[in-house]
Amino acid sequence: MFREWKDKEYIPPKTMVKLFTKGTFALSKVIIKNLNKLKKNRMEKVEYIPPKRKYKLPSYNPNMKYIKSDEKYLRPTLYCNPYAKEIIALANHLGAFEKEPYEYARDVFEFVKRNIILQILPLDGVVATLRRGYGTCLHKISLFIALCRVAGLKARYKLYALTMIQQWYETFVQPDPLMQEWYNAMGYFMLHGEGEVLIDGKWIVADVGPTPERQASAGIPITKFGEDSIGIWFQAIPGSIMRVESLPLGLGMASKILMEKIAPSSVKKINNSILKQYEKGKKILEEIGEEEYDKKVRKGYKMPKIELERKSIIFE
Amino acid sequence: MKKFGTMIEFKEYIKKLNERLKKYIPASLLPSEEALYKPLNIFDVPKKEADEYKYKAIKYAFKHHYENNSFYRKFCKENDVRPDDIKSIDDFVKIPLIPDKFYKTYPAGKEFAMWLATIYTGELPNIVIRKNDSYDDIIKKFNDAGLVISYSSGTSGRHTFIPRDKRTFYNSEYGIAKSVVTMIYPFWEYDINGYLLMPNPFKTNVFAGKVCSVYFDVIKNVEVAIDREITADIIQAAMQDNLKGKIVRYAMQRENRKMINRIVKWLKEQHKQKNKIAMVGAPFILYFVMEELKKSGETFDFGENGAVATGGGWKIYEDKRMPVEEFRKMVEEVLGIPPEYCLDLYGMVEGNGWMVHCPEGHYLHVPTTYYHAMVIDENGEPVAYGEKGRFAFLDGLALSYPGFIISGDEVRMLEECPCCHRNTPVLEPEVKRAKGDEMRGCAEEMRRVLSMDMSR
Ligand SMILES: [Zn+2]
Repeated sequence: MFREWKDKEYIPPKTMVKLFTKGTFALSKVIIKNLNKLKKNRMEKVEYIPPKRKYKLPSYNPNMKYIKSDEKYLRPTLYCNPYAKEIIALANHLGAFEKEPYEYARDVFEFVKRNIILQILPLDGVVATLRRGYGTCLHKISLFIALCRVAGLKARYKLYALTMIQQWYETFVQPDPLMQEWYNAMGYFMLHGEGEVLIDGKWIVADVGPTPERQASAGIPITKFGEDSIGIWFQAIPGSIMRVESLPLGLGMASKILMEKIAPSSVKKINNSILKQYEKGKKILEEIGEEEYDKKVRKGYKMPKIELERKSIIFE
Repeated sequence: MKKFGTMIEFKEYIKKLNERLKKYIPASLLPSEEALYKPLNIFDVPKKEADEYKYKAIKYAFKHHYENNSFYRKFCKENDVRPDDIKSIDDFVKIPLIPDKFYKTYPAGKEFAMWLATIYTGELPNIVIRKNDSYDDIIKKFNDAGLVISYSSGTSGRHTFIPRDKRTFYNSEYGIAKSVVTMIYPFWEYDINGYLLMPNPFKTNVFAGKVCSVYFDVIKNVEVAIDREITADIIQAAMQDNLKGKIVRYAMQRENRKMINRIVKWLKEQHKQKNKIAMVGAPFILYFVMEELKKSGETFDFGENGAVATGGGWKIYEDKRMPVEEFRKMVEEVLGIPPEYCLDLYGMVEGNGWMVHCPEGHYLHVPTTYYHAMVIDENGEPVAYGEKGRFAFLDGLALSYPGFIISGDEVRMLEECPCCHRNTPVLEPEVKRAKGDEMRGCAEEMRRVLSMDMSR
């Protein structure tokens, strides 16, 4: 079994273990220091209504086509079962096996990016995410990957620890002083990511995490299929980028303990704050239109692209 | 301001400075260097003349980077701009601006070395990089090979790295010296005593510290506040809220006590011996020195025998900003140095232009001959004078990296100074970070490192 785990990359890569060890250590310290505050946090009542699902689930029929494979990047992995009925139904509904692979993957990207609202909650499977209509960026990436794999397109995770831009910091951190301490402690702990799908021998990045509304509220461009969010939306902590077939074991449990046992009220506050941002962004997009908005922010934000050159450096 | 009876003529004054700074001045001048070295008063060149200098300087720099820097050339092609498109100063708006954040997007490990090589304009000497070299190792190797890689750190823990060659760095150093000495006329003379409220320029790669090495050539006797070596790793450690950060900060706090006491002692000696003094550096260090003096009820009356030049930001504590004006009042009350001799500077690691307060109104005067300052709105369009926006600039002196940059700083630029007659546009006396950007400032970063919050 261990071998299979290793093969499927359930065992967290070294970088991740390092990040998490650092993170856990720092976090434990905040927790010990704030036992009282945390106790109060658990007692505190915060009003929170989860968002409603934005779409209808397409119905399933047993004749629907799908690709079952045991090949790397095609097979099921943790929290990502491509063969669930709901996933097969949605894949067919989105045009798997009818559209060109690129076109299909792009439509999957748009579906997941636009429809699944960002909320913080413990990790769970793709069917739960799809039924619920909201989840973290890791939930969203898993859903994207499942929808690609079920249609025979290889897909994987691109994960990294990040430094945030200010707006993101304000949403996540400012609503709660305790979170501020967490944030400081967690510098290396917070994972973010994107999906990647292999089409014609090239890995194409899919930044499914932020909805257009979230990006509008933060004043940044709406990322398209094939467009990286690093540099626009986040700065990755150097050396922390990991490309893996699966989310690692332990992440689900860790997120559950963190969110449900330690500071549930903080999580609720953050979710409320995200929903508020979402509404704010929605208003911005309604007022000037998405295309116009995107054109406008891109003008001021253009980053040069860089292809590394060696010049006369000698590597030993 | 009271002028001395035997006041030195300005021409003579700058001539003396140039003699002191001979080693910085290249034997043959490029257009942007002519624009820096030739004008007598860098803050008072008639507009027509300044525009001539500026057009040549910026056009030269743009062509140079277009031809010798592949990433910038690609960026220009994407924006559909070529050197031939720049026919007058009015065409400067076409020059593609690089967001300052770009210089933070470096990768780790050996790719960091390649990244530096890529953003560098032109060829590099041979540099040997080992597999496990740290950032500090790589910087050291570049610098040993004759470059000047320096950085400034942001609150997120990411640094802004800028690769200068010696020539660009010398120009920058000469620029800061000439700018301050010009503004503080007739105060400057070589044979006086100085205190650098910064890390030792020869032991740090923090740009704000490093650029101050010119101070040792401008003034005869210079003491340094922070003599220990400060590496990128230490800064990163001190900024982190973990055990290592605490230990580093604790060690620093003890050092800082000693540092404050040393400066107080020095001030007492200088005052007793009636020496002429110039203090240069991070305002918060002087602030804590003055607090210390206030506690013991001591004041001095250096008068026109003292000057203070600060730079880098006005955060004193984590949650406390000191208005510049209040700082000047404090300097006058505690040290007896008049506000005319207490000037602030605005500059950044990405650029080589130095905006300096005028003594009359403490507006930040913008150099006009080798540097083109603009204020840009959120769509990337220039705004009219008097309107708020982001500070952006085209820097003719940056020859080793494209210095066409849009910063995160929010400013308002006025066509002329409301208080004096110098021939330059000005920025309002205090510069704040644009909303949505991480705050930064050289003094802010030093303040964090030194954790002066101990006294709370
Ligand atoms: Zn003025």
